[in-house]
Parts: sequence; C-alpha cells; structure tokens
Amino acid sequence: MIAQAVHNEFAKMRHLRVGPLVAVMVAGVLAVTCRELTTPGFLESVDDPAGQSWQRLLASMAFAAPLVSPILIAVLASRQVDLEHQGNGWLFSHTSGLPAGRLCRTKFLATGAVLGAATLIESALVIGVGTLVGITVSFPAGQWLAYTASMVVVNLVLLALHLLLATRIENQLIGLGIGVLGVFLAASGSGMQPWLAHLTPWGYYALATPLDYRGEVLASITPWHLSIVALAVVGTAAFLLITRRFDRQEV
Amino acid sequence: MGSVQAEFLKLKRSMSWAVVIVLPLMAVITGTTNTVVSGQQLDDGWKTLWLRVIVFYGLFPLAVGVAALASLIWRVEHRDGNWNALMGRRVSSLEIVLGKAAVLAALMAAMQLVLLAGTVLAGKLIFGLPGFIPSEYLLVSVIIVLACLPVATLQSALSMLMRSFAAPIAIALLGAVVSVGLLLAEINGLIAVVPYALLGRATQLGTGYFADSGSITTGTMLLLIVASAGLTALTVVATAAGLDRRDIR
Repeated sequence: MIAQAVHNEFAKMRHLRVGPLVAVMVAGVLAVTCRELTTPGFLESVDDPAGQSWQRLLASMAFAAPLVSPILIAVLASRQVDLEHQGNGWLFSHTSGLPAGRLCRTKFLATGAVLGAATLIESALVIGVGTLVGITVSFPAGQWLAYTASMVVVNLVLLALHLLLATRIENQLIGLGIGVLGVFLAASGSGMQPWLAHLTPWGYYALATPLDYRGEVLASITPWHLSIVALAVVGTAAFLLITRRFDRQEV
Repeated sequence: MGSVQAEFLKLKRSMSWAVVIVLPLMAVITGTTNTVVSGQQLDDGWKTLWLRVIVFYGLFPLAVGVAALASLIWRVEHRDGNWNALMGRRVSSLEIVLGKAAVLAALMAAMQLVLLAGTVLAGKLIFGLPGFIPSEYLLVSVIIVLACLPVATLQSALSMLMRSFAAPIAIALLGAVVSVGLLLAEINGLIAVVPYALLGRATQLGTGYFADSGSITTGTMLLLIVASAGLTALTVVATAAGLDRRDIR
C-alpha cells in the first residue's frame, strides 16, 4: 500500500517538474560555491597544502547551501502539497484509505528521497569541480562527509516542516514566506551565539559548519554533531506526532 | 483606473502585508542583530548600517519577495472560475496587466518605505546615530523601487503563465543566483538587461560591494533608471500580448 502511494507521489512529481526544480537547487548551490574559485590565489594554490583548497571549497559550500536551499525546499513542499488543495486530493486519498497524515508521510518519503539524493549530488559535484581544477592536496574526507550528512539531515527536517505548513495552511504564501525568513536566519546563523542558532531549524546549517574564517585565516571548528542528531530525533518525533493527528482529523 | 481599483480590492485579504512588512523588517533585524552580537562598531555611521541591512537583502530575499507578491496577485485568477471571468472582462489585456503592475509598484514602494523606516529607527534607537539617514539613501531607495519594477512585471508574466504559486518563485531564486554571478563578474552589458541583475545592482548602489565602486554617480543612476523603465515597458507589453493569446479554461 505504502509502496504504491510512494510510486503515485513520484508520478505526481513528474508532472510538477520537480526534476528541474531540484536541478535549480543543485545548480544554485554549485554556482555560489564556485565563486570561491574566482578569489585571488585560489587556482595558484591548488597543490599547496597551506592553500587549504578543499577546506575553502567546503566553507564556500557551507555558505551557499543555507542561501539557496531553504527557499527551494519550501517551493518543493508547496508544489507537492498545493495540488492536493486544488484538486481535492485530501478527500480522494482519504476515501481510498490514505488519510491526510499518511499521505503527508508518503510525500515526505518520496520528496525526501529526491531531496536527499540532490544534496548528495550537490556535495559530489563540488568535489568534482575541485578535482577538475586540479586540487592535489589531501582530501578532508571525514570533515566533508560529516558536513554532507548534516546538510541532508537539516534539509530533510526543513522539508518535513514545510510539508506540515503547506498541508495545514492552504495559502502557500505563508510556507514560502517562512522559507524566505529562514534564509535570513540561515545566513546570519554563523554570526549568532550557538544557543540562539539552536532555536530554529535554519540555525543548524551554521551549527553543522566545520570551518570558519577568523579574520583572513580559515580555521577548523567543532561542529555540533550531537545537536544535529537531536534535531533529527526531535524532527522525526514531531513529524510523526503531527501527521498522526492529521490522520484523525476530518477532511 | 477601474482595473487598478479592482486589483487593490482583490489584494485586501491576500496577506500581502505579511511580505511587505515582515521581509524588510527581517533585513533590518538581522543586520542590526548581527552588528550588536558581533560587537562591531558602525565605523561609517549611517553608511555602515545601510550596507549591513541592504547588501544581503538586495541579493536574494528582495527578488524572492517580489516574486511571492507577483504570484499572490495572480493566484486568485487561477482559482475556481476566475480565469474565465478574467477572459470575459471588457477591459483590454494591457489594462489588466497594467493594473497588476500598478499594484505591484505600490507594494514595492511600501516595502522600501518599511525598510527605510526600520533602518532609521534602528540607527536612532539602537545605535544612537546622529542626524537623519543621508538623503542619498532616499534617492537610492527610489531607484531600488524603480529597479523592482522589471522583476515584478516579469514575475507577473510568469505567474500569469503558471498556475503554480511556487514555481515562479523558484525561477526568481535562480534569477537572483545568476544575478550574483553577473555582479561578481561585472558584466555590465548583461546586468542592464537581466531584470534580477538590474535589481541586484540597484540595491548595491553606494555600498562598494558587488560591482559597485562605493560612490553614487549620476551616470550610474541614469543608467539604472533608463534600463528599469525600458525593461518594465517591454515586459508589460509582452505580458499583455501573451494574455491576449490565452484562452478560456
């Protein structure tokens, strides 16, 4: 039953042009990340360990992802849910044994798979760009993988939040507006006190960042991995709880 | 005139105020909070505060906010039987498109006013800056509103063509990313003809960031005004022609 429902969601995605939308996100993050290549001295220091080429690319990706992802995640969730509002899909699904909450969870599974894959591709493409420009110094695999995994978690939590918002509030302006405000919070997250960054899901982009500029010097910092795990746990529990409530509500 | 009034009436319960008020205030709040939390001083007074508020706001959120408002004013036309009612109206397509553009222009002006008022309040109440915000930033604000118009009319066209509320907003974000690239590369020829880049350029006026020299020159202002007017006229005419060719559903 669930497999069939997920399959249906993928079919809807084809008509909603989710592919191009996700491509915009990947291209956007890649484009903003690659601006680092144009900074003075980058291309000249690709084989110099002191040049920190990989670290600079990773820091640039950690700057780009919070700028581009929150709005596109809001758009993705809105597209996937708005058609149910417009076409009375909630009622049709409910009568065929898929109440609103379960439909929401199905949407999360399908859209989350696409978003998770897109995030991994984003990260892989940045590695590809780094390799193409000839970075030969050792690759910080642990740092890179941990950041990519954290980014997947934060993106999925935001997707769950926006799916709930788009389901609950028919006016899609609200969800998208919150996505835009999220960009402000994500972008200013690195300047926030850590306790303040913990208060909203967008702040976790900054908490996941393993590098920070201290003046002109790029220094490693300890990311808040436990907090990211806690966000995943709390996000999952809240999503399940709220969607269970949706299941019991009348359409 | 009737079209403009009708558009304002449709806007009454649309929650457009949320974007008009919250988005610019968020720019002021984050700019102010970042300054306070980091413990940095406003070395150059009003100028430093202005660029802390406007630089980021002008690169991404403003274009997306304009897109959200354009989607909002067309959303009502795509619902129920309103599209057919629109097709059956006695007014011309150009009047309909101009009515939407006028509403968007008013919303853009209101957004910029909120941003200015918020910046002035933050400067006086939080940082105790002397005097009033320099008049050059009032002039820059007028130019920003003018530069919003090509983006607003282009987004209006996209929202007319697409039933989805969110898809045109994704396009605006892509436009904003492209505009950052053009500004970084300082490709002035393209900046003048790509609406998102033109808006990005206008918001950076006098900041010294993203293709800006830091000084506000008459030549740059004239270029921005002429390019904004030209692009707006072009998109309005093209949208009206596009609407003329649309059919009932």
